[in-house]
Amino acid sequence: MSSRRSRSRQSDVSRITDHQITDLISKLQQLIPELRGRRSDEVSASKVLQETCNYIRSLHREVDDLSDRLSQLLASTDTDSAQAAIIRSLLM
Amino acid sequence: MASLIPNLEPNPDTSPEFQRKKRRKTEKRPGSFDRNQGNQRIKRWQTEREQQIYSTKLIEALRRSRRNSSSAAGKEVRGTADRVLAISAKGTTRWSRAILTSGLSAGAKMRKHKKANINANRRLRKPKINKEKRKLPVFKRKLMVLGRLVPGCRKLSFSNLLEETSDYIAALEMQVRAMTAITEYLAGSSGGELQPPADRLGSNVNS
Repeated sequence: MSSRRSRSRQSDVSRITDHQITDLISKLQQLIPELRGRRSDEVSASKVLQETCNYIRSLHREVDDLSDRLSQLLASTDTDSAQAAIIRSLLM
Repeated sequence: MASLIPNLEPNPDTSPEFQRKKRRKTEKRPGSFDRNQGNQRIKRWQTEREQQIYSTKLIEALRRSRRNSSSAAGKEVRGTADRVLAISAKGTTRWSRAILTSGLSAGAKMRKHKKANINANRRLRKPKINKEKRKLPVFKRKLMVLGRLVPGCRKLSFSNLLEETSDYIAALEMQVRAMTAITEYLAGSSGGELQPPADRLGSNVNS
């Protein structure tokens, strides 16, 4: 891993230490629901990256689906009064 | 607890926004690495208050866009949702700034132009770097895939990319939570039994 320092696509001046790398990877691991419970020495960094990509893609898909549903629902309801009611209810 | 009270008026002394404004000067440095600020930002995405603010802004933005163009295609809703999300980030992260500027044609054209070049170089570059064969092709490739998934982060250093990714994931999760709540509410009330009490907001209905 020490060779990464010279080879990474750095455009900034900061030197990245191995400790920082593992720190960041384990911090990222805690955000991914699939890998959250596992110990950081059990999961390889490559797997963390892979699962991160998968998770982001699935989140994107969810947002797309929700957007589609939302557009259909908005088209079919009386938007202004519904929106006013939504705002009120969400804030209560 | 503050999160249960729907107080949207920012309290300048105690709200985290005030502290963020003070810190913003240091955050603009590209190499800055302060994990504390990053953690605070991520925690903010997870609060109820942030979700409420986002929901409100999203609904207002959707209403505005529906008034301007009568079609609210899923794609438009998605674009609106992403833009409001980026605005909620208050310019502290690269991905949010990239979303807000992605509408400009200059950005889109540059990306297409660069794409051709990168693919040409990759083949030439690969055989040169032989030392860590197991790491570079696999690990670096995944890193680049991640960089493409997070808006505006194709050329970030390793640590900055991971910072952006953490924040982006937290923001996306909040976006999903908020949109799910709105969708469920709308779906549940589309039966027509919803009667908004007549008040000042009701006067907007017929405009």
